Amino acid sequence: MLKSELARLAKGLLADPIPGAPAAEFTIAPPTQEEAAKVLRFASDHRLQVLFWGAGSHQSMGHKVTPDLIISTFRLDQVIDWQAEDLTIVVQPGVLVADLEAQLQQRDQTAVLPETPGAATVGGTIAAGLSGWRRLRYGPTRDRMLEVKLATGDGRLVRGGGRLVKNVTGYDLPRLATGSFGALGLITEVCLKLWPLAVERAMLTVDDADAAFAAAYRPYAVIESNESSVVYLAGSAEEIAAQADRIGGDLVSGHRWPDPIPARTEMILRAPASAVGLFVGVLRGLDVSFQAAHGVGEIRFGADEAATEEIGSLRTTAESMGGALVVGRAPEELAIDPWGTPPGSIELQRRVKAAFDPIGIANPGRLPGGV
Amino acid sequence: MSLVVELEATLGPDRVRSRPLELLVYNKDAGVTTGEVSVAVLPETTQEVAACVRAARRHKTPVVARGAGTGLAGGAVPTEPALLVVLTRMNELWEIDRLARTAWVGPGLLNLDLSRQVDHLGLHYAPDPSSQAACTIGGNVGTNAGGPHCLAEGTTVAHILGVEMVTADGDVVVLGGQAPDPIGLDLRGVVVGSEGTLGIVTKVLVKLTQNPPAVRTLLITFDTIQAAAATVSATIAFGIVPAALEMMDQPMVIAVESFTHGGLPVDAAAVLIAEVVGLDAGVIAEAETIARIAGEQGATSVKVAADEAERALLWKARKNAFGAVAQAAPDYYLHDTVVPRTRLVEVMTKIYEIGDRYGIKMLNVFHAGDGNLHPLVAYDAQEPGKVEQVKAAAEEMVRVSVAAGGSLTGEHGVGLEKRDLMGLVFDPIDLDAQARLRDAFDPDGLLNPGKVLPRGSRCFDYGIADLPEEVR
Repeated sequence: MLKSELARLAKGLLADPIPGAPAAEFTIAPPTQEEAAKVLRFASDHRLQVLFWGAGSHQSMGHKVTPDLIISTFRLDQVIDWQAEDLTIVVQPGVLVADLEAQLQQRDQTAVLPETPGAATVGGTIAAGLSGWRRLRYGPTRDRMLEVKLATGDGRLVRGGGRLVKNVTGYDLPRLATGSFGALGLITEVCLKLWPLAVERAMLTVDDADAAFAAAYRPYAVIESNESSVVYLAGSAEEIAAQADRIGGDLVSGHRWPDPIPARTEMILRAPASAVGLFVGVLRGLDVSFQAAHGVGEIRFGADEAATEEIGSLRTTAESMGGALVVGRAPEELAIDPWGTPPGSIELQRRVKAAFDPIGIANPGRLPGGV
Repeated sequence: MSLVVELEATLGPDRVRSRPLELLVYNKDAGVTTGEVSVAVLPETTQEVAACVRAARRHKTPVVARGAGTGLAGGAVPTEPALLVVLTRMNELWEIDRLARTAWVGPGLLNLDLSRQVDHLGLHYAPDPSSQAACTIGGNVGTNAGGPHCLAEGTTVAHILGVEMVTADGDVVVLGGQAPDPIGLDLRGVVVGSEGTLGIVTKVLVKLTQNPPAVRTLLITFDTIQAAAATVSATIAFGIVPAALEMMDQPMVIAVESFTHGGLPVDAAAVLIAEVVGLDAGVIAEAETIARIAGEQGATSVKVAADEAERALLWKARKNAFGAVAQAAPDYYLHDTVVPRTRLVEVMTKIYEIGDRYGIKMLNVFHAGDGNLHPLVAYDAQEPGKVEQVKAAAEEMVRVSVAAGGSLTGEHGVGLEKRDLMGLVFDPIDLDAQARLRDAFDPDGLLNPGKVLPRGSRCFDYGIADLPEEVR
């Protein structure tokens, strides 16, 4: 009965099952936000658990969801409004990060999204709260979220923020949605702030990443990995030369960003920026591959070789500093808690989720503490 | 036990103010609205703030947080008799992490004092409201304050990594922190700019920014407002985001010049102050490009500040603009709307038309680079009908901004001033969602009631919840 009702509602919206996605009775790809909202309303009315799906790049993060139905964003894939002269762009969630950046590059602009996105979508990247390496210079993705439209868990279409680079009108829903992992509902549209691309780019290989970070003036990134420490610079040729003089090291032109860590198990350590050196020392001792963002406090490492107890002790140390050790991806049999200890504000988080998803059907339990 | 007696037992009598004369200083902010304070307290610790909130809860008295009272939108002015929690004594600089370039500070710390206290480390706190010598970091967090240098650096929220907050229940929670991307929902991002309606912030983790090695500040003059506005749009469109890009019109330049005597060109129709920061090589090139763009748009002169003293004088003129206006008229009303940068010329033209039509004295000084307009109306409140006229003109200016794709406020906040205009930019369903979000933090409406959201925002405001129990 329920199934036939849902089939009627989803008529014309159905998609083939997605390779790699968990089994679900229906896979629905709404072409409009109104239809997405309608499906969510139905799901709330009938207590059907919904999993949101972009390209699947970050589905390995967070607690697993056992969905009754999957909502895919692949039909919500349009660039709605690019105001190049105002440095803003409005896009739907299903647009691929790589496609968006390629388009922006034609007019020497960037949304400063992750530099090696693979197949990731804009919606998935924002929902996972991920930023590129260049966040050291331009801040995290959430600081470029100017406006958001959400199809809430109970099927309302809600807009927050505005298509303006500066705006304090009403509560900041765009930032709340960033990193929410679908807990509030489906992101159906975002307006992002853009930055002009610098004329020249260069990389400086240095001996001491901490010293280079201290000497550099607002570099794009300072990334330490097993093999090297590299300062990423951009600007005019004169500016790059001046930076190289301040910092020292070997200069080559262009930016080559680190390839994603190939391990089956990838962990994301988030710690105060002043503790990066400490953790890098520990990771070198464990002989795992790592990429550490100095000045930011994010360290990605491959943990195939690291025993579970080492992950546990790294997590304890990170949490004691107010940080976290988050699972990027891991084989299920390792049974690593994806988040670690939930934050102290967990009760408030539950209430905030309920304000958008009162029945609790939108990616239920994906966030820490069952939110 | 009355609330006052209970508070006196907690804080001691000298930090509880309840006599009408003592309360006079707390019943308004720097804007135009006044409200009623029943008692004001001056806590010195987080636990004291929590105890005050719990006491107010027991007595069903609303709680309003206040910093230095420099707000302009009435955010710290009670709409009904309230307990005012004045946080100015919590002005500690707790700890600085030099490597990570962060600091934990008390909400009562003055914005400029923070920058002064970290200057020896080659750092500063980037958001710089005009009131920065008087306004507190806590107040900045409440309004998500801006300032000239927020053009390149973003407003307050981009510089707040975490907050410790007393909730409506009187509990203490920490949201965000030193590590990037704290797990779970980003409640920190929502609390910043929430105008004291979601909790009372008792400690703030700020991001500090490197002082630039080189600065170049340009003073550019124009013989029309439109040419100045077009220069702003063209600079951004060219791909330069300067550290600051500020505009003043002739009436404002005249007022400021007679106040600060900085040598501003009083015969120009408009002036732009453009500042670029960075490495020497970069700032020289960017300053040249801005000068070229200005020339193409019809600038009549471009002057580069020769040294730090000249630069300081320019900024003194800019930041004293509102003080200068006090000379021009007994009262002033400062607006704060924001429009897309591509629509500056058109919106400015309409705003001047509105001023002319109402026959009001209007001066403009604003953050042109991010489309943040601040038309300032000088008037005499004693003149019959004047206040109503000024308010009517204000609303028209807001409507013109919104019609061009803009919004109600770029940095001052909604407060009381813009509360009833929220419907211009948000649908009922958007406002209802915001009301539900607020209720998640403060279900009983204890914290700063009557602010930000207009009555009727909850779809249930005139529905079942308002009916007496027996007829539900």
